[in-house]
Amino acid sequence: MPWFILTSKSDRFSEELLIKPLYSDHLYVHFQFATKWDTNPDQESFRHTHIFPRALGEIIERYNVQELHVSLAGGLWRYETWGYPILDAAPGAEVWAWFKADTEDVDKNWKELASSLSGLLCASLNFINVDNSVNPEYTFKPRGVVSDQKINSTYVRYASLPREIVCTENLTPWKKLLPCESKSGLASLLNSGYIHNVRYHSIAIHMRPVCRDDACEFTSLELQQSVSLVYDYLIMGTKNWSFRKLFGQGLMGPCPLSENSVIFVDTTSNVSVPFQLIPSPDDYITSVRGGHVSTFAKYNVKPYAMSINANYLGKESVLLNSPPSLHANQYITGYGQERGGIVTKIYNNHWGALEVVVLQNIPWYVPIYLHTLKIDVNGVRVEPVGIHYIPGRQRQRPYHLEILLKLPPRSVASVSIDFDYVFLKWQEYPPDANHGFYIGSAVISANLPLARNFTGLPQDGATIADSFNASRRGYLVQVRTENMVITLPTPDFSMPYNVICLACTVVALAFGPLHNITTKRLVLTVKDNEKLIVKIKNRIVKAWTERNSGSDVNQSVQ
Amino acid sequence: MPAEKSEKYVENRPEQRCYKTGTILLMYTVGASIRYWLIFSRYQSIIGNHIEVSTPLNSWKRVSEGLYLQSKGINPYEGDLLHEAPVTMLLYRTLTQSLKLPVEITFLIFDIGTAVLLYFIARRYMFQLFVQQEESKEEYSEDSKEFLLAGPDFLNSPVFVAAAFLFNPYMVFNCVGLSTTVFHNFFLALFLCSMLYGSILLSTVSLAFCTMMSLSKIRAFVTVGVFILVMVSLKYISTVLSNGDAFIKNVYGFILTVPDLQPNIGLFWYFFTEMFDHFRDLFICSFQINATILYLIPLSIKFRNDPFLLTTAVLFLISVFKSYPCLGDVGFVLSLLPCFIHLFNYSQQGFLVGVIFLITTALGPILWHLWIYSNSANANFYFGVTLAFAIAQIFLVTDILFAYLKREFCLKNGKDRKIDGKDALLILE
Repeated sequence: MPWFILTSKSDRFSEELLIKPLYSDHLYVHFQFATKWDTNPDQESFRHTHIFPRALGEIIERYNVQELHVSLAGGLWRYETWGYPILDAAPGAEVWAWFKADTEDVDKNWKELASSLSGLLCASLNFINVDNSVNPEYTFKPRGVVSDQKINSTYVRYASLPREIVCTENLTPWKKLLPCESKSGLASLLNSGYIHNVRYHSIAIHMRPVCRDDACEFTSLELQQSVSLVYDYLIMGTKNWSFRKLFGQGLMGPCPLSENSVIFVDTTSNVSVPFQLIPSPDDYITSVRGGHVSTFAKYNVKPYAMSINANYLGKESVLLNSPPSLHANQYITGYGQERGGIVTKIYNNHWGALEVVVLQNIPWYVPIYLHTLKIDVNGVRVEPVGIHYIPGRQRQRPYHLEILLKLPPRSVASVSIDFDYVFLKWQEYPPDANHGFYIGSAVISANLPLARNFTGLPQDGATIADSFNASRRGYLVQVRTENMVITLPTPDFSMPYNVICLACTVVALAFGPLHNITTKRLVLTVKDNEKLIVKIKNRIVKAWTERNSGSDVNQSVQ
Repeated sequence: MPAEKSEKYVENRPEQRCYKTGTILLMYTVGASIRYWLIFSRYQSIIGNHIEVSTPLNSWKRVSEGLYLQSKGINPYEGDLLHEAPVTMLLYRTLTQSLKLPVEITFLIFDIGTAVLLYFIARRYMFQLFVQQEESKEEYSEDSKEFLLAGPDFLNSPVFVAAAFLFNPYMVFNCVGLSTTVFHNFFLALFLCSMLYGSILLSTVSLAFCTMMSLSKIRAFVTVGVFILVMVSLKYISTVLSNGDAFIKNVYGFILTVPDLQPNIGLFWYFFTEMFDHFRDLFICSFQINATILYLIPLSIKFRNDPFLLTTAVLFLISVFKSYPCLGDVGFVLSLLPCFIHLFNYSQQGFLVGVIFLITTALGPILWHLWIYSNSANANFYFGVTLAFAIAQIFLVTDILFAYLKREFCLKNGKDRKIDGKDALLILE
């Protein structure tokens, strides 16, 4: 029914680019592609799709997925100096998904979903398994609409692969999911030769069901695809940026399938670090959000070649970076390879108290002891508001710890827990065993009362334009901490035969004498003191004399 | 020592050349004080953290984790850190939480209790030996009379046993390191004691407790019926306590399948670290059979006349070959050795074994530190030490058993080893 699709326009696509100079000599570039398809997600078979990528649709349909969030990131987002990104992503690969309530075997679907995504994105997501996934109780709530009010956390799965390295081979298949691929529109700027030469890059796919209109009588399917890049002026060599410097080429017009194609440049910092935009923007937008005012220059992408340059005017005044309300980091304590600890430090810079949820997904080869959990706020031991803990099992299940905390105003909380280093079987070590094993980042979620440093999208929006003037009661941030690497003690990989031989020898050392003792009896025998050489000599002499005497007899007979 | 003196043996009357009650009490006090001092000193955590003392099976850290999880309403058997049976967890919870005893004092009490039990075990065994010696004196050869034990030997041996327990560094470390082997040893001593005093009920109950704690203690020389009954009831209590059978996998499955490859003084860890996956099951089966039932029947037949020696030998072999041995297991059997004072003359490898024990005890922690902390050694070094340690124990147990046979032979046939006036050799044939 192609005429129906064309006339009803059941799906809409929009592309946006946000360029935002950060305080710390970095430039944040975010591509946001949003598709909204007015179809019933529960009944759609994904046989015919228009803009929505069919490859993804088939996966969603097949594994009964309600919501899907995938991100692949290289580098670490520095919350302390960069503020909050539009979409959070943990270093490496991160996937979380909600399955529909009629899913029979969630674990099986989850495993197969990850494998399919691994094929779709050319990432090693197939390593996601039951033994490294958790079902978070508090941290990952559905982002889209849910049919029934009761949210059962048995239908959500979360896993991260901190060791995953993200590069061109993931970007290329990701671009194929876009309606114009990278042939035209903003996606044509994603030139892998340029965009991986940055401090931080992440690509993401977020799919969820949303309300079709305010009445929310029907639901639609929404897909957000995004690329986040953080350029370093030091790597670029200059502070003045242009499309050519950032992407190696100019823009050749919008994607013809897109409803709107817009570029925003955050000019809030223009007050202190003035720069001039060439060409001058079509429009200026002032956004007041959660008590925080920001201004944006807006460009509508026109169907001809364009480029945007920014030239800094050189009159810099002193910059004061106000750190975001909540940020965190994580590290390993201890020395040696026997016992260690994981410390998560959470900084609350807000003037009010904050309620946060800390999610730790700790792999099974890092067994943690819950009784050693210690939470200090400004050096004073406190008790958490609540704890959700599911102990792990070797080779079967990770340690899943969620801590509900109330952080007093302007405080530093340190959450520490002890773990043991385990000894694995020799074939369980990865090829470069001394490279170490990764522990994924902790996820710290909070609803911030203020939108300072906050650029995230509101829950009801899918585009950057939706975030302008979007004051809400709270602003959800999910801060990801650093990955950690521990080096587990290794056996000698060249030894298997030697070890098997030696250990069996010891067993035989016991078996031999015990066998003798239990099956034989003690007897006295004549002591034979003669040495072997003497024995041989005696025998030869004896034989000789016998032969001689024999010949004597013969002679005498003759 | 003239043989006639041994006839004066009266069980409760100390003689001139024996230790006085005061001395024995002083010994216990000193032993307890050493433990008390160490357990409250800063060395406690150092000792407790050593893998020779705490294995995954007996470390108090894991028990406290289990108790903590229970107090938070989380089933500790859902995870795989805890490997204690629910019954023993109930015991620990009662001891530490209901009775409000400090953990260290609990360990101290049980350890000293074990020492007391060992004293009575040795006394009873010595008495049995004396009775046996008196009964079968007629069968002994004339010139072997001087090999018979004399009164002071009988009376002093229990003191030596207690001393070997109280001042054995292995046992001190075991108690100070808060390994639950202390409780295990207590029930084991209770079992031995009741076995020697002939109380079937108590011995089966205590053996069942031992078995609940560590599987490898199932042995055939008890009344099987009572044992099974007690086991079943303990199992039932455990199931009720832990809401399910998850603990079976966590406790016994863990002991049998050896999933945790943390190094210890045994043979399993490196062997199964380096094992090829498709041979793992085969070798686990053969090693577990070797540790438990392989030697049980032959030894029971051969040494049926001396059940206590048999028990000790089997305990010794189990402590060498079990999947998660610790110093507490070795030390316990070592402290029983003075019971066999009559065999010492016939053993040959005492010096060798002693030297290996000394060297491996010193080298073990050093090489561990070099491997894990300084990164200048590797797993092979520590593995070498554990091999040597196991060999020493094997030499010791085979030596004692062989000495028993030789003594029996000498008692029957006299001390002269001559055939037709010629020097003869005593060999196994």
